[in-house]
Amino acid sequence: MNKITRAFIRVLQHSNNSYALLGRQLSYKSDLSLDKIYPNARLQLFTPPPPPPGNGGKFNGYIPMDKLEITYSRSSGPGGQHVNTVNSKVDVRFKLAEAQWIPEQTRQKLLQVLANKLNKEGYYFIKSDLTRSQQLNLADALEKLRTIIRAQELDAPTGPSELTLEKLRRRQERAARQRLQLKRNRAQIKAERQAPSGIDF
Amino acid sequence: MLASFCTLCGNAGNQCLLRAERQCCKTINHQMAHLRESSEKALKLLRTLPRVQIGNLRPNPNSKQNDKRGRAQHGGDKHGAGNKGSGQRQNFMRLGYETGNQPFYLRFPYEPYYKGHHMRRQYPPISMLKLQVLIDTNRIDISQPIDIATLCNSGLLSLKPAELQYGFQLTDDGLDNFKAKINIEVQHASEAVIAAVERNGGVIRTAYYDPRSLHILANPKKWFEKGLPIPQRMLPPQDAVEYYTDAKNRGYLANPEEISKERLVLAQKYGYELPRIEDDVNYEMLTAAKDPRQLFHGLEPGWLVNLVDKTIVKLKAT
Repeated sequence: MNKITRAFIRVLQHSNNSYALLGRQLSYKSDLSLDKIYPNARLQLFTPPPPPPGNGGKFNGYIPMDKLEITYSRSSGPGGQHVNTVNSKVDVRFKLAEAQWIPEQTRQKLLQVLANKLNKEGYYFIKSDLTRSQQLNLADALEKLRTIIRAQELDAPTGPSELTLEKLRRRQERAARQRLQLKRNRAQIKAERQAPSGIDF
Repeated sequence: MLASFCTLCGNAGNQCLLRAERQCCKTINHQMAHLRESSEKALKLLRTLPRVQIGNLRPNPNSKQNDKRGRAQHGGDKHGAGNKGSGQRQNFMRLGYETGNQPFYLRFPYEPYYKGHHMRRQYPPISMLKLQVLIDTNRIDISQPIDIATLCNSGLLSLKPAELQYGFQLTDDGLDNFKAKINIEVQHASEAVIAAVERNGGVIRTAYYDPRSLHILANPKKWFEKGLPIPQRMLPPQDAVEYYTDAKNRGYLANPEEISKERLVLAQKYGYELPRIEDDVNYEMLTAAKDPRQLFHGLEPGWLVNLVDKTIVKLKAT
């Protein structure tokens, strides 16, 4: 090891931000290091960009948090000191007409369906006090919101398939056949109970 | 008898109307009057009762054993075995016998509730509240990555690998109030806990350590004093591989790119803006991760640490 390298390492030892310098250049790589298991992957942690809008104008599930107004308050119900003092209830609200993160078509449908649920300023809100934890309640509120949006994008129920319809038709015909056969049998039995008429001979 | 009067109600001490409850007035005078009254009562009793003699005394409870002998009028004759029957003939049924029907202790041929319990891995919990308290009281230095060695060196947490404890798990008690930006490595963490750490701009990983490595990490100084070279960490057992290769659990063997994506997914699920970790000043420290074979940050397997001379002996590359 030459003098320059030795000096370099001495500098590193005395530097406060040792991780910045020692991190990548001098880190240990064994037979199981991640670059050997995942050769083509991006090994450094990064923040991926928000996903593009879904194909076919469908909601892709991404909600920008800065577009929502989230407030916290105290929950109702039993719970003693915890429920009295901790703000675990979550109120998530946003202006439905101006929500660009919902695809246009879905937004129009929602405006119709939720017309009676919007307040005077046009805000739609969802509240949740399901759990004891504020964080989990926020997750619950967002889950409810996504369910409501996705419910508008479901296709109308198509009804029974052709195969099922054919099956049903055959069942009905068979039932009718059996009924008529029984009826005929009964009629014959009853006719045989009568005395033979002159016409039969 | 001294006459005393309550300063509030004016009743004489021994004529208090609510004497039974002793709650008439709470003045010291009145209480003292009641005390004096009971001592007077005791003295009165002593005057009227007979003299204390051996025949009047009773031994302390449970100090005397019953000296029953199998002879004489009360201990003899049938000797406590009654008349006729299996009792007197000392031909008792065996314990558990239910006079012919299948006894309870034989009804169930197999009860596998605890089968293999002695082999199951245990992860002693650390709540988020405890972790926050440790950080706030400067027991843990958050300017460095946190792992088992850090937690055990704080002196407040201990790991017993011999009792099948395979590391720590972070539990969700107190996650609403967790406010620290840390790089932590535990052995198990639930989704809510991962979200709580990441929403504060931190990084959490779950990693496996085999029992030998755990023994080293639980008390690193003691192990270094042995003067043995650092061994390499082994891979997890088969039933744990799936957990540690999953990006959702932030496993140490998972694809780092998947982990980055899962961070966004979790941020969307739990409703927080994912902090841009690349723009953080401490990015290098926060993303510092150990190699899967590594035990200590900055030390490789095969190195020998000499605490006395403060040197590290490394194998020469041939």
